[in-house]
Amino acid sequence: MYVELHAHSAFSFLDGASTPTELAAAAAAHDYPAFALTDHDGLWGSMEFAHACEGFGVRPITGTELTVDKSHLTLLVEDEAGYRNLCRLLTAAHAHTRDNTGRASSQAWATLEEVEEYAEGLVCLSGCAQDGIAAGSFERGETAEGERLARRLLAAFGRDRFRIELQRPYWRRDRARNRWLALLAERLGVACVATGNVHAHDRRRAPLQDALVAIGRCETLEESEPYRRGNSTAALTSPAAMAARFAEYPEAVAESERLAERLRFDLTQQLGYRYPGSEDPDADAELARLCNHHLGERYRGSARLLEAQWRLEEELATIRKLDLSGFFLLHRDLLELAREVAAEVRGPESARSVLPPGRGRGSSVSSIVCYLTGLSHVDPVEADLFSGRFLNEETTSMPDIDLDFPRDIREVLIPRVHERYGREHSALVAAFPTYRPKGAVRDLGKALGLPPAEIDRVAKTVGFHETAAEIERDLAAALGSSRAAEPRWKVLLQLAGEIMGLPRHSSQHPGGMVISTRPLIDVCPVVPAAMAGRQTVQWDKDSCADAGFLKIDLLGLGMLSAVERCVEEIGRARGERLDLSRIPLDDPETFESIRAAETTGVFQIESRAQMQMLPRTQPRDIDDVVVQVALVRPGPIQGGAIHPYIERRKLRRENPDYEIPYEHPLLEPVLEETLGTIVFQEQVIEVAMALSGFSSSEAEGLRRAMSRKRSEEAIREHHRRFVAGAAANGVPEKTAEKVWNQIKGFSGFGFPKAHSAAFGLLAYQSAWLRIHYGPEFLCSLLNEQPMGFYPPDSLVHEAQRRGIRVTPPDANRSRVLCHVETPRTEEDVRGGLVVRIGLGYVKGVRKEEVEALVAERERGGPYGGIAELASRCGAGLPSLERLAWAGALDGIPAGSEGERREALWRVGVTAAGRLTGSGTQLALPMEPPRPPELEPLGEWGKLIADYRSTGMTVDKHPLKLLRPGLDPRLLRSSDLAAVDHGATVEIAGMVTARQRPETANGITFMLLEDERGAVNLIVPPPVYDRHRTLVRTAPLLRARGRLERREGTINVLVADLAPLERAQPTQRRPREARERAVAELRAVAPAGHAFGRRGR
Amino acid sequence: MPGLRRLYAPQRVAVRTDPRGAPTTVEGVTVEAVREEWLVEDRWWTPEPLRRHYFELALGDGRALTVFRSARAQRWYRQRA
Repeated sequence: MYVELHAHSAFSFLDGASTPTELAAAAAAHDYPAFALTDHDGLWGSMEFAHACEGFGVRPITGTELTVDKSHLTLLVEDEAGYRNLCRLLTAAHAHTRDNTGRASSQAWATLEEVEEYAEGLVCLSGCAQDGIAAGSFERGETAEGERLARRLLAAFGRDRFRIELQRPYWRRDRARNRWLALLAERLGVACVATGNVHAHDRRRAPLQDALVAIGRCETLEESEPYRRGNSTAALTSPAAMAARFAEYPEAVAESERLAERLRFDLTQQLGYRYPGSEDPDADAELARLCNHHLGERYRGSARLLEAQWRLEEELATIRKLDLSGFFLLHRDLLELAREVAAEVRGPESARSVLPPGRGRGSSVSSIVCYLTGLSHVDPVEADLFSGRFLNEETTSMPDIDLDFPRDIREVLIPRVHERYGREHSALVAAFPTYRPKGAVRDLGKALGLPPAEIDRVAKTVGFHETAAEIERDLAAALGSSRAAEPRWKVLLQLAGEIMGLPRHSSQHPGGMVISTRPLIDVCPVVPAAMAGRQTVQWDKDSCADAGFLKIDLLGLGMLSAVERCVEEIGRARGERLDLSRIPLDDPETFESIRAAETTGVFQIESRAQMQMLPRTQPRDIDDVVVQVALVRPGPIQGGAIHPYIERRKLRRENPDYEIPYEHPLLEPVLEETLGTIVFQEQVIEVAMALSGFSSSEAEGLRRAMSRKRSEEAIREHHRRFVAGAAANGVPEKTAEKVWNQIKGFSGFGFPKAHSAAFGLLAYQSAWLRIHYGPEFLCSLLNEQPMGFYPPDSLVHEAQRRGIRVTPPDANRSRVLCHVETPRTEEDVRGGLVVRIGLGYVKGVRKEEVEALVAERERGGPYGGIAELASRCGAGLPSLERLAWAGALDGIPAGSEGERREALWRVGVTAAGRLTGSGTQLALPMEPPRPPELEPLGEWGKLIADYRSTGMTVDKHPLKLLRPGLDPRLLRSSDLAAVDHGATVEIAGMVTARQRPETANGITFMLLEDERGAVNLIVPPPVYDRHRTLVRTAPLLRARGRLERREGTINVLVADLAPLERAQPTQRRPREARERAVAELRAVAPAGHAFGRRGR
Repeated sequence: MPGLRRLYAPQRVAVRTDPRGAPTTVEGVTVEAVREEWLVEDRWWTPEPLRRHYFELALGDGRALTVFRSARAQRWYRQRA
């Protein structure tokens, strides 16, 4: 019987059209007893394949098709030594792919000497029909060289482990080549083995395989003809069909089965991974000593000391039982390393030096051991956090400890971890960006040779999560239905449906690291990452979890960086040293702003959905904020928690004696703080335990079954036990079913309370900073972009509406980053401080040039004139021109009228430094003569220049300038407060955010900003369907709809939309001129952020 | 265009086959041996996809000949050298 020993999945990156799981399923459907995955130069998909095969009852064989110089070899793992060698060989093949000293980044290769060195435990096949070491030489007419290389491999692997590989791809010279290969095998005295060189699990994927090859070569399908497979026979087929294909070589077919029988290495069982500290006999005692020491410190004099002691004992006992003490000590060790890095990065004088190096997030925040060892900053006893979700005795995988760091600290920490544990023992986790609609349209469009302008139009229209059917609709909308029906576009649609979800290339996980006691390169190949000094294993987080690797997440959290920057800026501008851990958690002004949904820029509670909810939930303390953070998540939304929670909070406010209507009295103790609704992830566990008598591990099993990798079968079994358990507790079946549906709706897509507690605190701290240090807070948000819900332009406008002054970039005042400065004159601004936009915000200027410009100004004083600037600062003409366009040269020389065209003229004629081969040629410091009469840019021209050069304007809002020409019936956002509920209103503005949540049944939400504020638009599906392109792409809109007012929130339920330029012309501004003006703005205005199922 | 004709255009040819689809006679001449057999599936993204099953044959009269069956036309052609 034939067994497949040579197959590629999509993890051969653009040379394989099926996932490992699809291959495993197809192998099972064809009754293959075993099947080998041999992706190009990697084991990227091997773990997924091995687990999928196990599930389907197929024995997985691990291997690779290795590039050796320019030829290919098929290597299959026989035993543990072979696996170790394969990992080392692949690691060697990828070394020097990123350092410009050897291989290109996408082209790994090993030398024949390396293959010889790592031959033990591997079976070597002589390679594929086109590029194999033996067959390729025949194709190239270099048979003598082919035989010489084959003899070297024979010497390295021995007769027992070297085979001549025969393939039958139905190419013109198959028979001749196989005859020559069979004779070669005879001369060498080794057996032949038949293989299929599978590139797809099904023949119907053959077109996609062709397209992937074209994409990989950046060519069209026509151009890539010599490199494509030429026909569809590289798809997986039955063992009988393969045996028939090799009818002339029955022995080669039989050999595939004999060989497969020997290849017994099991990737799911034989990795031998250990994490540092896992074998330390003293780890238990050391962890207990450490925790008890800090327990005394942290809970001295606390009324809850005994409770804390009891919890600690219980957790330590669980940790000992699970043999995880070394795991906690390793994390603690990492945190100590982070502390050193933080001190280095922040510097001893920094106001940030009092801050901890990072913070915990996720369920680990519920652990008292994490709290005492510094891995979490939230007291779990005080916050009543339940640790069963993080740690329980029947846990089957490693608990997760995620640590958030400011971005700058994390950047230094990651390479430092490599240094601490050794480059052979630590690496980042890989990530595989997969095809999404936009990329699919662009890549396939190019491969199909479609016109670039059309591809661009369609790609800009499709949404992030679209299905092929939805892309078809967009295609017709963008190009018209007759063009969309043309054959190549039809083919694109079909291929787009298939390509979606396939990995395009490998990348690095944002912060997941693997650390190993054994050299990692014996456990998984390690490859250089694109970022210098970093390296990744070849597996993503799921494969790493399946491998039982300890993954440590060192995540970069933008808001943490922003908060730190803010503390630093406060120290610099006001000389105040702020300790965020000591700010009052009951500040009335902060809570007032939260309740009024004035939370733009605040962590987690700034989104449109949160702003809608805050006036209704009316948070009064930090616990309310913790609930609030967890509330706007798919779990509570789908579990039906939102409306009862809001309603009950309102009733409680009105009547403190209001009794919460729990579904059953048994639920009161576990759902009390969330007023009878399921908001936190662990409440699923607690509800199952309270209502149906589940043990903690049973309940954890239920939560897992409901989560991402959900199993319908497991859920059915849990359901049966849930209802039966509830009945045993005297709960009526109807009630049990109702609660079950809430749990099922929740499905695990919510925050654990511990995570919410960590995020809730950061949300409060950021809200507090926004209120008390507004300029510094805005400044830190602008410097930490991209982050958050709003583009910088919206952040600036919102701050301006609160009275914060923001000033434009100025070559004589700005730094590279934005900063706060004291105004020269006394002005009525909050804190007396002004935010100055940094020169780094000007698009297209070279960072080193603006750094030099600022350094020279600080050294030699302000620039007296443009010629002086050009000669002193060292910046080239292109950068100076961009600075002039952005208005950064308006104030030079001092007292000038700030006319940008004039500044541009001066920059041009003073022949500012140009880049030459040996550096920047400096300009002479001679002030030019008076410029000719230039027409001033005008307000509108400046606005366009602002957007084009910095993506924002700190001057008048575009709508303020447009307003005189707009239809007078259009209301301003501030007018809506006086409009009755249910009235029809018409408004216009810039779109600053658009959101289409999975949970909103096709409703799209948009934020429309004008000169007075922002309005929330609700676009129902029929309106969306009529105006899809407009909703998704138009930066300026006019909307008509019904005003809806509810508990302090105002929305407009949209009935009709139009682009702003179609608004009625007035006599004050001729229609054509205004349309042209709007079109100009449309081309440069920020796109607005898009969230959720973008643009579906 | 008048006066122009495509060089090496395939010509229709009469072929008998065995149950597996391999030629046994070409224009009445017995096929002695099939030297090579290959498959071309291309241009599937155009309105005129190509799917041809080629056979390089040694004929009983000593000639070597390449024929193909077009799956689209359901006919046999002789590939002119």
